[in-house]
Amino acid sequence: MSATIQTGALGRSADAPRPRALLFDRRRRRNAYAAYLFLAPGFLLFALVILYPIARAFQISLYEWSIVPGATSRFLGLENYDRALHDPVFWRSLGNTGFYMAVTVPTQIVLGLAAAVLLDARMPARGLFRALYYLPVITSWVVVSLLFRYLFMTDGGLVNWVLHDGLHVIDHNVQWLGSRWTAMTAISVLGIWKGVGWSMVIFLAALQGVPRELYEAAAVDGAGSWRSFRGITLPTLLPVVAFVTVMLVIGGFNVFISVFLITNGGPLDQTQVLLTYMYRQAFSFLDFGYGSALSFTLTLIVFALSLAQLRIFARRGAA
Amino acid sequence: MVVGSIRRTRALLGVRITLLTAGAVVMVLPFAYMLSTSFKPDRLVLEVPPKFLPSSPTASNYVDAWTSNEFGRYFLNSVIVAGCTTVAAVFLAAMMAYAFARFDFPGRRVLFGLLLLGLMVPAMMLLIPQFLVAKKLLLLDSLFGLIVFYTGGNLALNTFLLRSFFRDIPLELEEAMIVDGAGPWRRFRQLILPLSRPALATVGLFTFLASWDEFAWALTIISDPSKRTLPIAIALFQGQHATSWGLVFAASVIAVAPVIAIFVAFQRQFVSGITAGALKG
Amino acid sequence: MRLARLALLTALVTSVSVFAVTAATAGAGRAGGTTTITFWHAYAENASAPEMQRLTKIVIPRFEKLNPGIKVEQVPFSYSSLQQKLTTSVAGGTLPDVIRADLAWVPQYAKLGAFAKLDQAMPDFQKLAKAVYPGSLATNYYKGHYYGLPLDTNTRVLMYNKDALASAGITSPPTTFDALRAAAPKLKAKGIYLFADGGTGGWNVLPWIWSGGGSLTNKTFTRATGYLNSAKSVAAVQLLVDLYKEGAIPSLITGDAGATGTEDGLATGKYATILDGPWMFPIFRKAYPNFKLQTALVPKGPGGSVSVVGGEDIVMSQSSKKKAAAEQFIRFMLSPWTQTEMAHAGQMPVRADVSKQLTKINSYFGIFAQQLKVARPRTPSPNWPQIDTVLGKAVASAIQGNESTKAALDDAARQIDQLLAG
Repeated sequence: MSATIQTGALGRSADAPRPRALLFDRRRRRNAYAAYLFLAPGFLLFALVILYPIARAFQISLYEWSIVPGATSRFLGLENYDRALHDPVFWRSLGNTGFYMAVTVPTQIVLGLAAAVLLDARMPARGLFRALYYLPVITSWVVVSLLFRYLFMTDGGLVNWVLHDGLHVIDHNVQWLGSRWTAMTAISVLGIWKGVGWSMVIFLAALQGVPRELYEAAAVDGAGSWRSFRGITLPTLLPVVAFVTVMLVIGGFNVFISVFLITNGGPLDQTQVLLTYMYRQAFSFLDFGYGSALSFTLTLIVFALSLAQLRIFARRGAA
Repeated sequence: MVVGSIRRTRALLGVRITLLTAGAVVMVLPFAYMLSTSFKPDRLVLEVPPKFLPSSPTASNYVDAWTSNEFGRYFLNSVIVAGCTTVAAVFLAAMMAYAFARFDFPGRRVLFGLLLLGLMVPAMMLLIPQFLVAKKLLLLDSLFGLIVFYTGGNLALNTFLLRSFFRDIPLELEEAMIVDGAGPWRRFRQLILPLSRPALATVGLFTFLASWDEFAWALTIISDPSKRTLPIAIALFQGQHATSWGLVFAASVIAVAPVIAIFVAFQRQFVSGITAGALKG
Repeated sequence: MRLARLALLTALVTSVSVFAVTAATAGAGRAGGTTTITFWHAYAENASAPEMQRLTKIVIPRFEKLNPGIKVEQVPFSYSSLQQKLTTSVAGGTLPDVIRADLAWVPQYAKLGAFAKLDQAMPDFQKLAKAVYPGSLATNYYKGHYYGLPLDTNTRVLMYNKDALASAGITSPPTTFDALRAAAPKLKAKGIYLFADGGTGGWNVLPWIWSGGGSLTNKTFTRATGYLNSAKSVAAVQLLVDLYKEGAIPSLITGDAGATGTEDGLATGKYATILDGPWMFPIFRKAYPNFKLQTALVPKGPGGSVSVVGGEDIVMSQSSKKKAAAEQFIRFMLSPWTQTEMAHAGQMPVRADVSKQLTKINSYFGIFAQQLKVARPRTPSPNWPQIDTVLGKAVASAIQGNESTKAALDDAARQIDQLLAG
């Protein structure tokens, strides 16, 4: 038996029949009626709470919006967006958001996969390990942000003490939160620490879905563990990796609470990310028009990126 | 060769456990430190070298945290809001997921696309327009208002995850029920829901956590202090002039404890549900 | 199945009951004949703080006793939460009746028309205005009207750690710019920072600029160029730049969130001096009971010893439907009795007649009262948050050595000119 496997689009062997997903193509109208009934309550709420505000937020971004009800706001067209393009802090916050994503997303995938591979064996306390790795995931962002701010304090913080006094890796206490890249690193470390468990759990389940016979057959053929990993495991996991990547990227762009509570974009707007900068514009400077424009730009970027990722992964999966 | 491979397997297992333990320590260490600091008096919080076992432990931080500003009340508010949101969001999303998973109807793609759009929009961006909607509907300054908006905000992700789970329930089972004359509502109640308990549990846990932790919206629409939720209480401990870390962490421990308890209790359903949703997504 | 039905039922019942409860409590204020006014403030972060105890157990009960028919519902916030709350409430039209607002916020919201013009609304406004410090009163002024009254005042003075100074052979606190320059290397040799502060905004930097003989703007607050970048202002900021460069000021000043705070630093002897306000006394007493806090006037420069006026104003929202009751409460909060009461909790009064017995109430008030005699307010502009940011960034940039002090202040002055016009 060859070491390469034919896999269906959903990570299962192509031999199993693809389940039919829909019912009664014949009785169309009654189906539609039933479907709408099921959809209605949820979708109406969703439209009210999410869709309508999205449209409204875009409307606000086109004005120099006055927050006093009843006052007339000056129409600006796309001026707020143009202002963003010429705003150095906007580009810096875009850069910081990009850095955060570039650091946290691949790391969470690699470490999560590694942990899942390690855990994918019969061993004592497996459930305990899984629970411990998942602990940060279920903890509130508010709590862990304050905690990590405390850990990364220059004098008296645990991180510096471990690195300096414990492991002697650095020769003086690093001022983590005092400058742009060290602070973004600290915030990224928090992001990774908090998220690894999530991808680990997903990868673990995916790994357990790979039939054992495949590995055994590959072993009989003389494939070492690395080759069977590359030839069997990775291709099987591709759709899962795709899903995890898309979700992590969306989450990475939406980073807010950790930056807000740890550095609040400081010092001197060095660690602003898109959402904290938007928040500052809206609630410190009362400029809702500009704030809305910033967040709308963010939405477009995330949307475009997600579509691009899905297309890339679909193409690779088909190959 | 057999003996050699057994030895190899055992050594490999040893390596796995060692590496995993090292990782687990990194995961848990910050929490341990937080717990330890919550028992330290202010003057020892920034002591160098940092101590994991406090030299003069005190429970005063916990007492202060619980008795300040109706903390118990905030705790109860969070329980009510998160609980109701979870029930409502899971149920409504299940209904929507069933429609998307099993039926073909005009506008299906468009409506689902709108749902995905909702997933990608950062909640922060909608703060002001949502506030205006809440004002029109007289939902300001009420726990019910929180529930309504939290539910709406969780629908997209929940529906997305549940839909992929529902699609994998074999059609034959449902078709058998149709032959028996069961309408969609009965099939939903008697077949789909029971079969998807793990997925529902997962989605429920996600929703519960999101509501328990939400900060910006609660701060915006709640004015009456008796209606505040926990995240606001914890943020209140960050003072204008100085931060008492012991107090902050004591409050945090109180806030995190129930979440951990729930997770530990429902771990199995939760894990199997989350992975099912992800794998079929 | 039963699960679904149960779920639906639970959701329905719970939401109905929650709705009912919240609706009931919302209506409580209108019960038979009593008017309830809401009062938002940021007195303290938790209910056990002395200000909160005074307010809820002594002050408000007395007001309600003297004014049967009016109930006061006080809502505490943290400082930054209150600011965000005000913004969203103006947008939604849900402001409370009375607010204790930081005086730096008043012009911003006055411009939006959110606060009532007290000089028109209150018949006895002139009488009240005469009884308070003119400097504090001025913080409520915007385009021809007064939008509030001062409620409490404070300022920054020099606070120092006697033992830390002594260990470097310095027996008396540095009270002049020159003394600071001389003390810095001695303290550095002992590993102690001379001076620490938490930022470079107006609140932090203006005492230095004013004591140095410079200023942010001209007297009518219309122009910054020629004032912020005058030789004296530049020299004052240069003092901070030089001290930072020789390692006498920690990175906390440029916004390093990981640096040790001023409170912890001063008490543990890491920092020799800080500038801070009267609230630090109860804070130190609780967190560092063995530390003896010493105070002195702001270090003297070519312009004297000039500090910055802080404090809160009490305002009434324009949209309030209970203006008569709200005014009654404002009147009460400004009465000699209330001002004395809150003084016991560390809130410095704004009434000149009460201030005469200040030191009898809290001995540490003495130095603040003395400093307040020549303290100045920050620029009363609706764009103050932006101006503050521009100033803060410029000074921090100079401190970090990114540009020369003159260039940084030149650029800032230009930007502030435009903001002052708006």
